[in-house]
Amino acid sequence: MAAAPKIPIEPSYRDIDRSVLRIMEPASMAYWAWIGFCFTLVAIAAGFWLRQIYSGLGVTGLQQPVMWAIYITNFVFWVGIAHSGTLISAILFLFRTKWRTAVYRAAETMTIFAVATAGLFPLIHLGRVWLFYWLLPYPNQRYLQPDFRSPLVWDAFAVSTYLTISSLFWTMGLIPDIANAREAATGWRKKFYTVLAMGWQGTDRQWRHYSMAYLLMAGLATPLVLSVHSVVSWDFAMAINPGWHSTIFAPYFVAGAIFSGVAMVITLLIPMRRLLGIEDLLTEWHFDNLAKVVLLTSLVVSYAYITEAFMTWYTGDPIEQMTFHMRYFGPWGWMYWVMVLCNCVIPLLLFSPRIRVNLRALWVITIFVNIGMWFERFVIIAGSLTANFEPSQWASYRPSVTEIMITIGSFAWFLGLFSLFSRFLPIISMTELKEGIVWLRKALKMDRVKAA
Amino acid sequence: MSTIAIISSFADDAQCAHAIEELRAAQVGDFNTFSPIPSHRIEHAIGRKKSPVRWIVLMGGISGILTGLAITIGTTYEWRLDAGGKPLLSWPPFIIICFELMVLFGGIFGFLGVLMLSGIPATEIAPGYNGRFGEDRFGIMVRCDEAEAARVESMMRESGAEEIVREGVQ
Repeated sequence: MAAAPKIPIEPSYRDIDRSVLRIMEPASMAYWAWIGFCFTLVAIAAGFWLRQIYSGLGVTGLQQPVMWAIYITNFVFWVGIAHSGTLISAILFLFRTKWRTAVYRAAETMTIFAVATAGLFPLIHLGRVWLFYWLLPYPNQRYLQPDFRSPLVWDAFAVSTYLTISSLFWTMGLIPDIANAREAATGWRKKFYTVLAMGWQGTDRQWRHYSMAYLLMAGLATPLVLSVHSVVSWDFAMAINPGWHSTIFAPYFVAGAIFSGVAMVITLLIPMRRLLGIEDLLTEWHFDNLAKVVLLTSLVVSYAYITEAFMTWYTGDPIEQMTFHMRYFGPWGWMYWVMVLCNCVIPLLLFSPRIRVNLRALWVITIFVNIGMWFERFVIIAGSLTANFEPSQWASYRPSVTEIMITIGSFAWFLGLFSLFSRFLPIISMTELKEGIVWLRKALKMDRVKAA
Repeated sequence: MSTIAIISSFADDAQCAHAIEELRAAQVGDFNTFSPIPSHRIEHAIGRKKSPVRWIVLMGGISGILTGLAITIGTTYEWRLDAGGKPLLSWPPFIIICFELMVLFGGIFGFLGVLMLSGIPATEIAPGYNGRFGEDRFGIMVRCDEAEAARVESMMRESGAEEIVREGVQ
């Protein structure tokens, strides 16, 4: 791909289109090598999964009482990552936030692929994966039905609704942009985009229905975002297990999800803007605002950690207190303190406006947040199970190679899908960037003045 | 007298909206517009009612709630599972299922509604459309009698049209 031409300080609609459509030109060998690398890892992970299906869950490190460990940690981690996409695309749309237009498509795309990755883990965690449909109510000769009082059934409904609605919302936003790509493309790409654009022409009739439906979808997606991670948190909070049975779990998990999700958006966007040559469309102003969301949610998460500790002390329940003592000072205590360092201490650097716009520093901070949030889920899920009511049942857990390889494969799957998308479909919304062109011009002026 | 189409392109939506107001005031022919972004100015100038897609979403939401109630209550009675003496019909968890299905059905109905009302998927591009209308130009296509063409063209030019093209209509 040729070096990106700088877009003028007062960009026109045409400049925006050219910058975004340029990304979709045929890719280099290095890009295909990266895609090949990602999907090779996915193939290796799939091999390990096949082996697990053939041999049974014995190939994992799962044993009583730690029956939920890395797989469920990955599930919660990826569902959490998915949250920022809909936050940015739906909630910030309703608030008419100016900086969302350049970042929302990438965040939404990340959401779709993160939910698609998360959705695999409950299946991978099943010993007999071919019976997954038992989670859904369907007519059968023995009149057996799922128990709707079980949070696992709520989860099946919540996560599949989330995947469907975010995909529809994403597809709707893509249609006008794909119609633009259709006009610019040639050869097989033109045919491909012509089919995907479904005959969109931007007539007043189309925009009238589209705008109303988009607003309503955002309205529906907003409570959905908050509900999905609440439901995921209830997978734990509804059980009487010490370390899980807490009323703060829903807001605590939602804040953590937005925290990790926005951090992941930043982790992906910083290298992406460089590699795709879109520094002019994703300016420091955008990253400054994203970093503020990370800082705010980091403070909420820190507050939740303190509340959790306080509640444990205040209840006076010795079993709960023992679980937390083990969490802080037990054999896995180091994981808790890594989590505190990554989620509560390091993000405090973002109070500095200079660090918020220093993209290298910001990238490193968000990597720490990703690590910290993965550990948070592991500490809560597997850590709480190691020390249960009966000391005679206490046991440890060690992940097996199968679990580790499948976890690595999930990251490769996510990054591979995201990278594929970013070169074939518009990763930045041209339509919304044009609608908010005044703000892009302001951001560009700020950047150029600073550079000068 | 044959009908023709006059396609005018404008650099911004304010000029386009002004041209629409002129057309409506003069009550000449029928028209539709093309634009790269949804524009409130154009929408107000055309003056149509709010999109009925909101009623479709509402219907979807209501049918989602009803489906949620039907499957939770129905399956509970089909498989009467006593869990620690809790009531068979446990409303709080049922509300979660109803909520999720309300969002799911509302979203699916909304998506299908917008496709249906906007006339997509369409296999053919309607006459008058030009790639620039997706990029950076706002267009108006007026269908009128040949006798009125000159009047329409002058209205468009006065409103600031950059380019005016005449096409025959089959």
